[in-house]
Amino acid sequence: MKPLLSMKGATIRFGGLVAVKEVTFDIRPGDLFGLIGPNGAGKTTCFNLITGMYQVSSGEILFGEDCINGARKLPPNKICELGIARTFQNIRLFGALSALENVVIGGFLRSRSSLFSALTLMPPAIKDTRALEAKAMEYLKVMDLEEDAHTRARDLPYGKQRRLEIARAMATNPKLILLDEPAAGMNPQESEQLSRTVRRIRDDYGKTVLLIEHDMRFVMNLCERIVVLDHGEEIAFGGPDDIRNNPKVIEAYLGEPV
Amino acid sequence: MRFWGVRLASIAGGIGLAVLIHWIALSQLSAFGVRLVVLAGLYVTLAVSLNLINGITGQFSIGHAAFYQVGAYAAGLFTVKVFSSQPLTFMLWVPVAMIVGAVVASAAGLLVGLPSLRLRGDYLAIVTLGFGEIIRILSQNLKVVGAASGMAIEPKMLSQSPMVWLCWLLAIGSIALCRNLLQTAHGLSFLAVREDEIASSAMGINVTRTKVAAFVLGSALAGAAGGFYAHYEGFLIPTQFGMEVSFIILTMVVLGGSGSITGSVIAAVALSALPELLRNIKTIPLATVIGLTIGVIAAVSLGRRWSEQLHGPVRDRVLKLSGLTGLCLGGGYLLGLGLRALPALSEATTDGNRIRMVIFAGTLVLLMLVRPQGVLGHREFGLGKWLREPAR
Ligand SMILES: Nc1ncnc2c1ncn2[C@@H]1O[C@H](COP(=O)(O)OP(=O)(O)O)[C@@H](O)[C@H]1O
Ligand SMILES: [Mg+2]
Repeated sequence: MKPLLSMKGATIRFGGLVAVKEVTFDIRPGDLFGLIGPNGAGKTTCFNLITGMYQVSSGEILFGEDCINGARKLPPNKICELGIARTFQNIRLFGALSALENVVIGGFLRSRSSLFSALTLMPPAIKDTRALEAKAMEYLKVMDLEEDAHTRARDLPYGKQRRLEIARAMATNPKLILLDEPAAGMNPQESEQLSRTVRRIRDDYGKTVLLIEHDMRFVMNLCERIVVLDHGEEIAFGGPDDIRNNPKVIEAYLGEPV
Repeated sequence: MRFWGVRLASIAGGIGLAVLIHWIALSQLSAFGVRLVVLAGLYVTLAVSLNLINGITGQFSIGHAAFYQVGAYAAGLFTVKVFSSQPLTFMLWVPVAMIVGAVVASAAGLLVGLPSLRLRGDYLAIVTLGFGEIIRILSQNLKVVGAASGMAIEPKMLSQSPMVWLCWLLAIGSIALCRNLLQTAHGLSFLAVREDEIASSAMGINVTRTKVAAFVLGSALAGAAGGFYAHYEGFLIPTQFGMEVSFIILTMVVLGGSGSITGSVIAAVALSALPELLRNIKTIPLATVIGLTIGVIAAVSLGRRWSEQLHGPVRDRVLKLSGLTGLCLGGGYLLGLGLRALPALSEATTDGNRIRMVIFAGTLVLLMLVRPQGVLGHREFGLGKWLREPAR
């Protein structure tokens, strides 16, 4: 099967620091893919490369057939349009806006009505807005947030903010969704619940998922294939069992077998 | 069908309101009063359009008067050069000239916005400041617009019978455009850019394009206001549009609560009259000024400390703080009366014109101390619930 996303020797240097070094892996359509490693390993930086926040120093990243970062680098909004959406490790919601509005904004890039029709409040703009609101409500339901639709994002508790970020990313209708530590700060029940939701996102909505997570139970239960980074370098790749028993991973990250 | 019914009704309502303001102004008010009403309409347009850029889209433009001036000069020059060779009447001509002002000002907005809005926020402030200076210097030196001695806009169109309705139609139209925008997903994308540019671009929003659109639209509205002003005054000189004017518009937006259209409107109406009114007060006893200043300082310092301890419904808190303010100001006034007994202060007076910028700056500083989010914060006035909760 043709890969959906290919990292081909992706490398980025910040001054003297090589934050991501020659990282190479393929994500296939429908994967539940994990990216793990100790703090500072370069996981979030990988997300920033994939979503076009940074330019690779060398190597390239392909999405389907398209080069999105390499000889040519697309801006983040174009990459999102192609079908990659993300959440942020340090939550970046539109704090003053309601949960519903946040998700509506997520869907806005697929809207075709013009600025003129918005300024004059013409039927195309109204229809688009209503349709986006209905769709947004659906995503809020998936993330179990429908009761908080009209709460300001910054007033939501932490766990709900994380879920709202996922709803907003889903609203862009991506093919690939990147989750940066989605279970951080959640208690075991919440994280259990989230794990089921992420699986639903893949199974029911057909999204390919790439996620970063430190909660090993979460990763090992959910992800089918895992890449391990350490100091920007890929030290292991395989299924949960391979990773669990890989001596290099145990030494660099896990500490003891899990 | 229902849609068009409501739409036509609201357009008719807007026009009706403009005509009503026109009628009241011309039938009830003195010439000076009419002038205040016109200036209020222009400043509402200016504040609402700057609020689109600064409050809604979260940029920081501090040279809005420059676009007002570009619009005024463009429209004025257009009239001087073209009017005599065409058949339109004054009433039809002025709107055409305003459109010319809007187009030229929006082109200037594009010129300024395209390079600077790609960059971090503070560049826009610097560039708009610089642009204001360039426009000021150009207008002081270009012969074609009369340089420093100014340019008469002939023939005189609005000095005899001002079209108050037209400037208020522009104001109401500006309000309507911004309100409409915020009711759509498109408008939410402008708010998203204000809230977080990185998250916006990650959600597929073209951040630069959004900012430039807001900037160009804001400039166009300011330019249209300038076009009206040119024909209303009948005479343009560079000193009508200094930094002072930019500063006043910015004050209106910040005071009203950045992002709140209602706030901008209220602050624009309140503050556009203030300088004109103060200009007319010729003799204020210096003792009263000193007394009131002390009263204000007391109100703010006590109020700040007190408001941290107050709880309960907003209305109660507002009432208590208003009471405190009244007491302090009353005390300050009495103190002023007492001070007049001092020989040094008994005769000394000042005039409104001299202290108006001080009052302006003072009000701004005080308000920022007491209520950094502006009078209305992000609230809007809605017909259903008065003062909607701060949804944004
Ligand atoms: N913009 C940047 N400038 C300089 N250094 C950076 C930048 N972004 C990340 N880094 C560095 O790159 C390394 C990897 O960071 P990151 O990808 O955030 O790690 P993590 O695996 O915990 O997500 C860290 O040492 C970090 O300090
Ligand atoms: Mg990280």
